[in-house]
Amino acid sequence: MKVASFDIVFQEIPGEVTLALNLSNCPCHCPGCHSQHLAQDIGEPVTEALLDSLTGRYKGLITCVAFMGGDAAPDEVVKWAEYVRPLKTAWYSGRTIMPKDEKAFDYVKLGPYIESLGGLKSPTTNQRLYKREDDDWIDITNSFWKKNLAD
Amino acid sequence: METYIIKRDGKKELFTIDKIKNAISKAFLAVGAFATEETLGAILSHLRVRNEVTVEEIQNQVEVALMAEGYYQVAKAFILYRQGHTEDRETQRRLDFMMNYVQASNAAEGSKFDANANVEHKNIATLIGELPKQGFIRLNRRLLTERIKEMYGKELSDRYMNLLNQHFIYKNDETNLANYCASITMYPWLIGGTKSIGGNATPPHNLKSFCGGFINMVFMVSSMLSGACATPEFLMYMNYFIEQEFGDDYYKRADEVVDLSKKRRTIDKIITDCFQQVVYSLNQPSGARNFQSVFWNISYYDRYYFQSLFEHFRFPNGEAPHWDSLNWLQKRFMNWFNEERLRCVLTFPVETMALLAENGDIKDKEYGDFTAEMYAKGHSFFTYVSDNADSLSSCCRLRNAITDNSFSYTLGAGGISTGSKSVLTINLNRAIQYAVRNNIPYQAYIEDVVDLMHKVQLAYNENLKNLQEKGMLPLFDAGYINIGRQYLTIGVNGLVEAAEFLGIEIKDSPEYAHFVQELLGIIEKKNKEYRTKDVMFNCEMIPAENVGVKHAKWDKEDGYVVPRDCYNSYFYIVEDKSLNVLDRFRLHGRQYIEHLTGGSALHCNLEEHLSQEQYRQLLRVAAIEGCNYFTFNIPNTVCNDCGHIDKRYLKECPHCHSKNVDYLTRVIGYMKRVSNFSEARQKEAAQRYYAEPSKAPKCVCE
Repeated sequence: MKVASFDIVFQEIPGEVTLALNLSNCPCHCPGCHSQHLAQDIGEPVTEALLDSLTGRYKGLITCVAFMGGDAAPDEVVKWAEYVRPLKTAWYSGRTIMPKDEKAFDYVKLGPYIESLGGLKSPTTNQRLYKREDDDWIDITNSFWKKNLAD
Repeated sequence: METYIIKRDGKKELFTIDKIKNAISKAFLAVGAFATEETLGAILSHLRVRNEVTVEEIQNQVEVALMAEGYYQVAKAFILYRQGHTEDRETQRRLDFMMNYVQASNAAEGSKFDANANVEHKNIATLIGELPKQGFIRLNRRLLTERIKEMYGKELSDRYMNLLNQHFIYKNDETNLANYCASITMYPWLIGGTKSIGGNATPPHNLKSFCGGFINMVFMVSSMLSGACATPEFLMYMNYFIEQEFGDDYYKRADEVVDLSKKRRTIDKIITDCFQQVVYSLNQPSGARNFQSVFWNISYYDRYYFQSLFEHFRFPNGEAPHWDSLNWLQKRFMNWFNEERLRCVLTFPVETMALLAENGDIKDKEYGDFTAEMYAKGHSFFTYVSDNADSLSSCCRLRNAITDNSFSYTLGAGGISTGSKSVLTINLNRAIQYAVRNNIPYQAYIEDVVDLMHKVQLAYNENLKNLQEKGMLPLFDAGYINIGRQYLTIGVNGLVEAAEFLGIEIKDSPEYAHFVQELLGIIEKKNKEYRTKDVMFNCEMIPAENVGVKHAKWDKEDGYVVPRDCYNSYFYIVEDKSLNVLDRFRLHGRQYIEHLTGGSALHCNLEEHLSQEQYRQLLRVAAIEGCNYFTFNIPNTVCNDCGHIDKRYLKECPHCHSKNVDYLTRVIGYMKRVSNFSEARQKEAAQRYYAEPSKAPKCVCE
């Protein structure tokens, strides 16, 4: 598993300041994908040293680490998610089923990108973002559809 | 070979002797004499006309020739004739400037000397304000250089003018005569009204006279300052008068109807009507300030700041200010102002929330949460975070050490009276490139220039003291401003550009941190060296509203390396997309701002609003990184067709769906329409990188 790039993001995981790791070697090949370059095998291999250096650099500043993709190696995503605890963790997956080790994540996005339905910001999207509360997964996709600041 | 002369406008023209003959003949006629061909020939024989000689040079030669031939009266007439033409040309220049101004696309673009977007529309009043600016610049330079000569000799004065003319240094606000900006204490007004500053108002005695009197007082104070007027006690005093009128527990009874008129207003409605009166009045263009509105700042405090600043304060009735009611009033004002900004483009007041930090978080949880809530509601304001309640930022740019939180019955609270008397800015990009080109160690060169700047500032200070001795500065005499608590400010501009020139990458790294610390450390060292019991210096990264544009333009013209059209006002490159929000906080964190005793502001540009929890976390980020002054800037959308204002950054009006929209954003301290910025500023605003929250690849499979 390799990290092609990383960023600090706010919209992907509501309420969190998130270190997003963009994982390469994506097997999904969704038509219309915004990040087609991530289908290639590029970037740096994920290691303890790499994660330590990134979470160390933003220690105390981030509240969550999000694994963006990585569907070719789901077990590894789980392993690394457990490694970055006690930070919150999220997985943006293109699959349609929850990972087996549900407790490895606080947030999971499921569903491939279907161009005609749009991404999470589109009210017609097939994709879903779930937030785990104890053993329950709450669908919080509608938080992307706010019309006003007050909503 | 043909001979050309260079005309005043720089154009070349074929030289003919007839024009000179004609001018000389006219001079003879002016004294009632007549020049024969012989006389003319004798005079002309003195002239030495080489190719590409200037008109001025030929005329100088004619003067000498007339005198050499003994025609002294004619020479005098010729000199007067030249002077007349010079004056004509000066008038013509002003006329040209006026026509340019009238035709410019907006007021900031038309202003040649001080492109300030704080003017909404250009009209005859703003034009009247523009015309004497060049005169002020000359007058200010003369005043200053005369004083420098007296204190340090002609050589230093000449060197100052050289550095100024060659744009190594920049004297801010030369188009005004008044000292720069001040955070005032309103206590003298509370006790004595405006008489001591030349007004005729008695002290405020109820809520109504407080509001009306406050507006007049701020107009008066602002007319005696060239920059901002901060009133950090505004809400505290207002709270006092509300309590006097409706009782100390008024905020618990805000819904109570207390108005016997047909309007049946509640306490809350009466209070928000007061907000409306003050805020709308102070956002009006001001006649005394060439149709600019006054530049008005206020502060909010968390519980700890409030205690630290005002624990010894006493109102005229002997009472201390009450935190519980002030706490309510601060929140009420902020919420009201946020909502009011959906109705109208209101630029002022510029607001600063002062928060105390402890162990990597905001100490007063209630205010940490409230601050985050207000950002999430789309309100735009500054936050000042400090580990000690020993400093305060009460201006949109100025941070000051609070060395004195005492209270006096004549002067009020000591901690809030502060400001900057004068700002003199070094163009670091030019200075460093010049030093490198000339094989001078740049540290030594900067130190040399900064040393001179301190002397110039001391000369300015002497002039100010002189004005004060003559009774020209009533704000000082009446105690609104404490001259001993005012700084002389050394501004810096072009820091990032200088580092880029030296090949240093602009990112958080030991190399860049060392560069910043070394450079600003030189200035701080001098600040300490020149400090006396009467004079204090600080160093500020100036908000380069128009200086950044000017420096870039001048440096480019003179062949220096200029990477962008407007020098940064930040420790990072505004348009650099590789730096995320946390990196930017770090680059305005403690190791970079350590020597910036006068402050700098991080303008965290975002494309979309964050949630309350996210803003709350960013307050922790600020506390951890030691970034003490920041704001979040999300362009607000104004529809040019239906007038709808939306706090979000939209391409289309959500109300009437027009695409003819304009944006409100911060120039430096204050929110203005982008279309009111000068052209170069508009360009910079367009290039600003508004961290696009969704730019992380929309997930692999999204």
